[in-house]
Amino acid sequence: MNANALIAVMVILPIASALFLNLLHKKDRTIKILAIITAIVIPIIPLLTPYGSHFFGGYVPLAQNATLAQGLPSLITGTQLFQFHPGVMYVFTSAQQLMVFVLGLITFFAIFTFLNETKRPSGVYAFLMFMGTASVSAILLSDDIFNIFVFFEIAALAQVGIIVASGIKNNYETALKYILLGNIAGPLLLLGIVILLGVTGNVNVTDMIFTFKQGYVDPNSPVILMALALIAFGWLYASGLPPFHTIKSAVYSKALPHGAALLQAFSVFTLVAIGIIILRLFSYNSFTNIAIIGISVIAMILGITMAIVQTDYKRILGYLAVGELGYIGIGLGLGTAFGITAGLFQAVNEAIITSFLFIGFGTVLYKTRTSNTRKLGGMMYVNPKVALLVLLAGLAMAGVPPLNAFQSKLMLIQAAIQSGLPELGIIMILLSIVTFMTFMKAFYTIYMRPKPKELEILDNKIPRSTVISLVALLIICIILGLFPQIATNSLQTLAAGLV
Amino acid sequence: MVVDSQLMSFFTAGSLVVIGIFAALFLDNLIKKIIGLAFLADGVNLFIITMGYKPGGIVYIFLPDMVVSNFAQTASYPLPFALVLTNIVIGASTLAVILGLVIILNKRHGSLSASKILRDKGE
Amino acid sequence: MSFYDIILKRIRKIQEKAEEEEPITNVTASAMLTAELTLIASVLVAVVMVRLIHPVLMIIMIAAVLIIALMAMPIMPRLRREQNDDLNNMMFYVVVALGIIVALFYWGNLNV
Repeated sequence: MNANALIAVMVILPIASALFLNLLHKKDRTIKILAIITAIVIPIIPLLTPYGSHFFGGYVPLAQNATLAQGLPSLITGTQLFQFHPGVMYVFTSAQQLMVFVLGLITFFAIFTFLNETKRPSGVYAFLMFMGTASVSAILLSDDIFNIFVFFEIAALAQVGIIVASGIKNNYETALKYILLGNIAGPLLLLGIVILLGVTGNVNVTDMIFTFKQGYVDPNSPVILMALALIAFGWLYASGLPPFHTIKSAVYSKALPHGAALLQAFSVFTLVAIGIIILRLFSYNSFTNIAIIGISVIAMILGITMAIVQTDYKRILGYLAVGELGYIGIGLGLGTAFGITAGLFQAVNEAIITSFLFIGFGTVLYKTRTSNTRKLGGMMYVNPKVALLVLLAGLAMAGVPPLNAFQSKLMLIQAAIQSGLPELGIIMILLSIVTFMTFMKAFYTIYMRPKPKELEILDNKIPRSTVISLVALLIICIILGLFPQIATNSLQTLAAGLV
Repeated sequence: MVVDSQLMSFFTAGSLVVIGIFAALFLDNLIKKIIGLAFLADGVNLFIITMGYKPGGIVYIFLPDMVVSNFAQTASYPLPFALVLTNIVIGASTLAVILGLVIILNKRHGSLSASKILRDKGE
Repeated sequence: MSFYDIILKRIRKIQEKAEEEEPITNVTASAMLTAELTLIASVLVAVVMVRLIHPVLMIIMIAAVLIIALMAMPIMPRLRREQNDDLNNMMFYVVVALGIIVALFYWGNLNV
């Protein structure tokens, strides 16, 4: 029981550190030390934590609590109430370990880049980044759907703060649009959760699944289908699938590059977490899988076609990031264990590669203060090593071996063909080719074509920490590309449990 | 004509949700949009509370002189009330952030019209 | 004039109607064309999946999508103009999507 307290520490430590950083705003050295220590510790905790569950407040199910269960009447002990979870429960298995670790790693790179790129690091900005990390870790770990909703709202507020802090033109307007849309999606998600509570009497997902399986409620009743629709709608907002893809890509473009890297990691992992909950609860309804595949195909098509026609490279990256979410959704929607493993692996790769791309292209912003591809050019001669790293990031996103996205996209295409839907495989290949073409177009216009006369390249050197982050992310991409079993072995048990 | 108060309460919650979405979508003034979103959240809160209603239910505090089986059968369901309290706090903090953003945007643009401030800036 | 030039001219005409101030370069026009082809190709392949419901329905839908796509050819500039950052536009699509999702889940379960 005590060793499992580390599961709660994965959420509590970033929150506590965030609160201290907020208090210590303006004390630069203390902020740097505290932020970097927390950023180093956050990815390490999931590696040390043993698998299991954590019951907040010690409220185990009555069946496991002999002292409390003694004097209770058979009204309670004879029924299923005895097995239900009365408190908030966090579950930690190998899949959560991998995902919280990758999230912590991306947080570390984002904080590392942030602390070295700004002269006076802002404690409030670090607070927002850590609160976001804590919220998404909690969403990944929690088995209590209302707890997920609370952290979903906290994550939305943290994301708004990250956008507001960037100082980019029109960021306040984008932040307001994002939170106004969130205030439609959030209450409707809560309405869906509450309908489930009213029908099943539980907010714990394990107990709700039990109630459905035992036939205590009719899983096909219109009320539960309405709840499914509302929860799916909230899921669309949190992950950035259509119709929220335009605001999500605007959010990525209005944040600073390391902030955008973190924001897209939040979106990817929230998509995975809430998507898994939807599959666990509603996979008896075969229409759920069709709907997830449908929305993912729409996301891929809309995201990638919009990415081709943008002229601001941050919008290109934003739309590509949104389009790549479709691959993850297809993996989840296929419904086979292999497909779900492929989707989850693609999510992990996506988070790493898109952070790599955002931080890499962020160096262009650092040197030229503009992100308009029509005004850029000739950046290859400024720093060839960073240009090479960005090129490798783009190859990674397109799915070129031996980098990681090749393995996950190959698995996805195989899973699609095995499920009897080779058309999905064709669409995925076609859109990967177009993704590569879009990235090469952006790379060419920024790095390879001759420098326009009006372009002013600032003299500041790209910080070594940024280059170190890029190299580290590249190494992770190569390792996962050569040894995909490191990730897929952790994800297989979760995937098998979902089918 | 005796109307079931719980049913009427559900209808009120539903109409609050619909009015909220209508206001958020169609009204131009930012403050009116925000009030619409507050209606939406209030509608959901009312829905939650109505769901926890139990006719003739007692307050769910187990006093020392109560019998467990009596308590288990007559106490109203406490979980929805906890959820509503949490949701009210979430709504209040989100409202604070939204209003802060609106104040800054009003100072910059000098107007509260959503179609002027929040239109497509062409980037 | 070759087919490519005709398409390029039509795309430029639509783009000029949309954004008069923005200079039209070959890069943006060819980007529009690429996006157009990608869109039509992906939608066609996605429609082939309808074969699981009924093969004849798939043939009809493919023919319909082909005809609509060829008639309304420069779809991409209109699609791009429609997916803008305007709050009213986004909220409209959000509420429409909410309606479609609720309707689909409510009744889509019946035939699957």
